[in-house]
Amino acid sequence: MSEVRLQVQNLCKSFGITKAVQNVSFNVNKGEVHALIGENGSGKSTLTNMLTGIYTIDSGHFILDGKEIHPKNQVEANNEGVSIIVQELGTLSGLTVAENIFLGHEERFVKYGIKNTRAMNKEAQQLLNKYGFNRIRAGAMVDEYNFEDRKLVEIVKATYFTPKIVVIDETTTALSQEGREELYKHMNRIREEGNTVIFISHDLPEVLRMSDTITILRDGVYIDTVKSADVTEDDLKRLMVGREVTGDYYRSDYGEKVSDEVVFSVRNVSVPGQISDISFDLHKGEILGFGGLSESGMHEIGKACFGASFDRSGSVTLADGTSIDSIPKAIKHSIAYTSKDRDNESVVMNQSIGDNICLPSLDDLRSVLFFLSKSKMKQFANEHAAEMSVKMVNTNQFVSDLSGGNKQKVVLARWIGKDSDILVLDSPTRGIDIKVKQDIYQLMDRMRKQGKSIIMISEELMELIGMCDRIYIMKDGKINGELHRDPDLDENALIAQMV
Amino acid sequence: MGSSESLSAKNKLSGRTAGFLVLFLLVIVSWAVFKIITPSNFGAPKNLLSYFEASLMVSAGAVGFYFVMVMGMFDFSIGANIMLSSIVGTVVASRFGLGYFGLIGGCVLTGAIVGLLNGFFYVKLHIPSMIVTTGLALIYEAIASYIAGGQSATLPADLRAFGSMPGNLILAVIAFLIAYLLLNYTRIGTYTYAIGSDEFVAKNMGINVNKYKVIAFIISGAFFGIEAVLTISYGSSMVAETGMLSMSRNFYPTMGCFLGLAMKKNGIPIPAIIIGEFFLQIIYYGFVALGAPTAVNDVISGLALLIIVTLTTKTRKGDIVK
Repeated sequence: MSEVRLQVQNLCKSFGITKAVQNVSFNVNKGEVHALIGENGSGKSTLTNMLTGIYTIDSGHFILDGKEIHPKNQVEANNEGVSIIVQELGTLSGLTVAENIFLGHEERFVKYGIKNTRAMNKEAQQLLNKYGFNRIRAGAMVDEYNFEDRKLVEIVKATYFTPKIVVIDETTTALSQEGREELYKHMNRIREEGNTVIFISHDLPEVLRMSDTITILRDGVYIDTVKSADVTEDDLKRLMVGREVTGDYYRSDYGEKVSDEVVFSVRNVSVPGQISDISFDLHKGEILGFGGLSESGMHEIGKACFGASFDRSGSVTLADGTSIDSIPKAIKHSIAYTSKDRDNESVVMNQSIGDNICLPSLDDLRSVLFFLSKSKMKQFANEHAAEMSVKMVNTNQFVSDLSGGNKQKVVLARWIGKDSDILVLDSPTRGIDIKVKQDIYQLMDRMRKQGKSIIMISEELMELIGMCDRIYIMKDGKINGELHRDPDLDENALIAQMV
Repeated sequence: MGSSESLSAKNKLSGRTAGFLVLFLLVIVSWAVFKIITPSNFGAPKNLLSYFEASLMVSAGAVGFYFVMVMGMFDFSIGANIMLSSIVGTVVASRFGLGYFGLIGGCVLTGAIVGLLNGFFYVKLHIPSMIVTTGLALIYEAIASYIAGGQSATLPADLRAFGSMPGNLILAVIAFLIAYLLLNYTRIGTYTYAIGSDEFVAKNMGINVNKYKVIAFIISGAFFGIEAVLTISYGSSMVAETGMLSMSRNFYPTMGCFLGLAMKKNGIPIPAIIIGEFFLQIIYYGFVALGAPTAVNDVISGLALLIIVTLTTKTRKGDIVK
């Protein structure tokens, strides 16, 4: 029988009246990858944030190797043998790679108050080389490296001191396939060394492939712990959602003719360093997909269509010839946009859910003259938040309190409220659980049937294949291929055009 | 992979070189412009030395103030600090007969205490540093006026070695070296940049953010104490001004720090502050040589600040600037 590494005992955490984690207890063993899954808002990140000292514990205990721990910050967690790699960027600009790796642990390089930068850089470089990241220079400013490389620095930072437990919190969604493989390699290494990985991911095939044991949470409550070898993806979906996930996941129609009516035209659009000479038409009631590697330029297409690109050349026009060259103009002409970078570009974090939903529709929510009607706003926000089933206390709650999936629901509620005819959705299901994903796919299908047109940009090939009428594959800033909806279309056909 | 490494190295080298080139170009161009306009009474080697000496005073304070500004905080009590520190230093040196030890000790210690108070009230009251330091500046001015008996404090002639070469240069260079060491070779420097980059992440890394903010204010205050030594030694006396009149002394250290911040990405903030202050003094004395009214000088200095920071700050299109 495996030896227990971590005991989670009766753990509770509330934010105001929201009970994020309720009396959760389970064990994590030595030498395993232990996945933690659940819908958005199920309490996974809250639990691991308590383990790593980011949040304080309301009640309950973490027993690590028989000893109770209560770290107050990440450094204390590190000292107890627990580290974390987060979903978003976890390195600090303005510091060198070495300073980032040893941040909070500089004491061994400090003598008489003076830091031995050379020794710190030397040791950091040795670690980077040992991990196979020779191309990253320890003495260079971390700002010089791209997102992927900075994630590699985080892997070194979180694991160089051989912690007993490494928490990997939805990190893979932010990584390319190459970056994921690198991370998987180190997850296996940690397991082989007899240590433990707590792995949070919404990608269930990935969870089944990488983990030994899976614990499921739902609405902050512990549901079950199962062996990966004993369950299927459908079993996990049922445990996460609390019922069978019935009905079609993606669209089920094939062979439907898309309308010939062009509603949106892009001609010879270029953005220096991003995309080059892009032309396409979007038809009424069509879902048009854009796929490719993360840096292929596909995300810039969304911005260019919404008038949000800088230095854009070429033309973006509606069917009546109206040129879309700015964001206000796009919104005025019923175009909606959701960004891949949800937290920084789509939601206003420190504003209420209600304000976020009402933001582009304020002109329609006035009482007299330029005065806003609070009652209209409240009604509008409530109606569209309910339509999207946003999990919340009420619409006065701040968006910053919501999970990733619920933030995305708020963004979509905003544009549904605006009744936009053309939707540009960049990575609409990024970091979102299976149930919300299905809701979003069904919403897109409904909109398509209502005659609304959608541009869907995604790094998830299966959802492009499952949802789109046509798919453009981007490579090096250009359209490299076009594929049409077909039940026989598979990922390989897309990958062949991507690389 | 290897190519990206060499590219990064090349970029870094060119960044530093480009930064120095911009700074030296600013100095040369500004000197040349005034030399052409007013060749007889501006820019001779002897004059340049006096401009440099004037810039040393301000630079000594500005390199310390950089620690506060890089964390995203501000200080409106710079002038009040310099005034109070120099008056206390003079009193300790002359009245208590402690000589140079009293002068330096009195100024630096007073500056550090002022910094401590700024930092303490800032972290405890949870209100913007700009407001805290403005309020405290009024108090520092009042204390300085009380100590100086409502008039001025005069440094005895035998204690003015730091008012001219080589004393001023030695003290300023020591200040620059300490600032450079603190910034690059101590935990304080690393944490200063970490807090300036992302306070929340820094806190999660176990950094006691409030403690290091207070330390930044103390460092800044102590360096203004050094500026106070140089200032009173150069000018021999300090008038105890009240009613926020001391704020006029805020301008040059702040301008120098802006240049330091702009050149942070080039990896040369401390040299940028030192060379930047020299450039600003050239502009100042250039206008003095032209006989331009103070108002014109202020307008040009203000515009120069905006132009320099705009030209040296690499903001990408679309970046949000607050």
